[in-house]
Amino acid sequence: MSNQRQASSASQTPHLSPAELSYLYTSLSLPKSPIRPDGRSPTQFRPLTAESNILPGTNGSARIGFADGTQAIVGVKAEVEKTVLSTDTLASSEGGEGEDSTSTSNSAAASGHGSWVQMSIEIPGFRDDDALPVFLSEMMRESLVGSVADGGSDGGGDGGGDGDVTMAGGLKGRLVINKRWHWRLYIDVLLLSQPLSYPLPLLSLTTHLALLSTKLPKLKSQGEEDPFFDDDWEVAEYLYPRSSNLKAAGNASQYVRPPVTLLVVSVGENIIFDPSREEIAVADAVLAISVTRDTEAGNLKLLSIRTVDPPSRLTQPAVPNSENVNMLGATAPTEDIAVLNPATGEEEVPGVWRPRRGGVKRSVIANMVKTVLKKGGVGEEVLEGLEGVEVE
Amino acid sequence: MPLDTSTTYPLTRLRLDGRRWNELRLLQAQISTNPASSGSSYLSMGNTAIMCSVHGPAEGRRGEASGAAGSAGAIVEVDVNVAGFASVDRRRKAGGSDKQSSRIATTLRAAFQSHLHTYLYPHSTISIHVSVLSADGSLLAAAINACTLALVDAGIPMPGLLTGCTSGMSGSASTPRDPRNDELDPLLDLSLPEEQELPFLTVGTTTCVPVGENHMEDEEEETKVAVLNMDSKLHCTYIETMLAVGMDGCNQIRELLEGVIKGSNRG
Repeated sequence: MSNQRQASSASQTPHLSPAELSYLYTSLSLPKSPIRPDGRSPTQFRPLTAESNILPGTNGSARIGFADGTQAIVGVKAEVEKTVLSTDTLASSEGGEGEDSTSTSNSAAASGHGSWVQMSIEIPGFRDDDALPVFLSEMMRESLVGSVADGGSDGGGDGGGDGDVTMAGGLKGRLVINKRWHWRLYIDVLLLSQPLSYPLPLLSLTTHLALLSTKLPKLKSQGEEDPFFDDDWEVAEYLYPRSSNLKAAGNASQYVRPPVTLLVVSVGENIIFDPSREEIAVADAVLAISVTRDTEAGNLKLLSIRTVDPPSRLTQPAVPNSENVNMLGATAPTEDIAVLNPATGEEEVPGVWRPRRGGVKRSVIANMVKTVLKKGGVGEEVLEGLEGVEVE
Repeated sequence: MPLDTSTTYPLTRLRLDGRRWNELRLLQAQISTNPASSGSSYLSMGNTAIMCSVHGPAEGRRGEASGAAGSAGAIVEVDVNVAGFASVDRRRKAGGSDKQSSRIATTLRAAFQSHLHTYLYPHSTISIHVSVLSADGSLLAAAINACTLALVDAGIPMPGLLTGCTSGMSGSASTPRDPRNDELDPLLDLSLPEEQELPFLTVGTTTCVPVGENHMEDEEEETKVAVLNMDSKLHCTYIETMLAVGMDGCNQIRELLEGVIKGSNRG
């Protein structure tokens, strides 16, 4: 049971003593210039190895290995499926606007449906229906589909001609073949080793890369015919059109990219990207921030922020000398005076570990979002780095 | 004309993928692919691709390895996971694990539990994790080879390399063998279309490396069958041929794997 609880919180907490936790916390919360255990700057990522298109039997695939040895493989498979309208789309649409069923089918067929993207995550040592894989896959699918839902409302306004290779309607819109047929996308994530640190960024980056390399066969049939595809894999089209292919077209869709989820922690007033396991263990707050790019200007868009249960909550507190019976009379009472921690607003004795209660200031979150989204910021750096991975 | 081995093979003496009866598919392997585990390997036989990682020998989970079995030697745990994208059509798994992968896991566990020198590690667990990235026949054989490589990488002592291979017959072989009119050939290293159509068996063999002075004079290594698995129906008169061909395949694979292990030291 306790195992289960730890697994669903941010990571398996490393066994660190309160003194070590306090040391880590103090050096990470130094104002303006945190000192990380591995000497990285706050926004610096650990080196990673990445390759894409590794599995010939899939529509798109990728492998990423992090510096700590954890690896993930993602395979994307697409299947053609007949569009069947689910009862809830019917009900919601009818209840909302009182439309008849034909126009409902039109709208669903044009903008796509979130359930067309299926995601499953395999983590060794976990069953499929354990909390961690289910939570992670829903979190990642949500940002994929979430970007879709947003794009879909835009697509209703400006993108009349779906069915083309435009990204009107985002990923969901791209999956529409015609009114009666659509693609169903299966994204299978395989974590190859036990999760040493919270696996979300690894899985998200690998999924991003796999989706970038995903190709769908070229459609030969037109309009409302039953779909018929070109046998030649050479002419298959990318699910997310690549900018090099479409330079002449000047199409806005070439800038649309799958979302990326980054893990950010805050320690005191400081913001730290790509945290290691030890850094997560002392964090005040752990946030998963999903961003995507969907406009020509290349601006990033914030899709979602989710808080992740910080494992520092579960650590054991240390006892200050003044309260320690063994140290009675051995120290001067003036040595440890509780001071107010400006980040959390709690009184604590410097150098004595107290489990974090969670919670983060608005200004810190605003700062995080700004660091991710700004021009030349972390989000752009990550997306460009992944774009650079050779996709042939 | 339908494209299957039982109709085209008698005419051309070539199999669907152009191999002759005694040819293996291209075998590529790598060890130490995953730095986060004690030992790991990647192995591909034709279009079958498998990654394997070994953790341990390590202290087992409390309550499990503390029994009488745990005190005598290490316990081997095997976990097989066939990825959803492994086969041509994506298969939806119902619940935890399917029948095929749990059968492979059971066979692997039985094979390596008795093969490894587990008595050297009492009260510990060796856990093997096999991920099938792409399935195109000979899954069990490829998994045996990948596990052997990963266990060698993890430095777990074993008497010799345990290698696996499949062999089959080029027809249904349901009637007794006629020595005067023998038109069926044994086939080595079956691919998925052949596996679905023809009777086949998986054989795993090992060699004992000669130890001590009195073994020095016999040059030839003794081959022992460690794993034998067959799911299809076949007349018993063919078994001997298939077994011989399969064991020959195992020896070929053993040489390839030895090359991989020796080669990885230089790099």
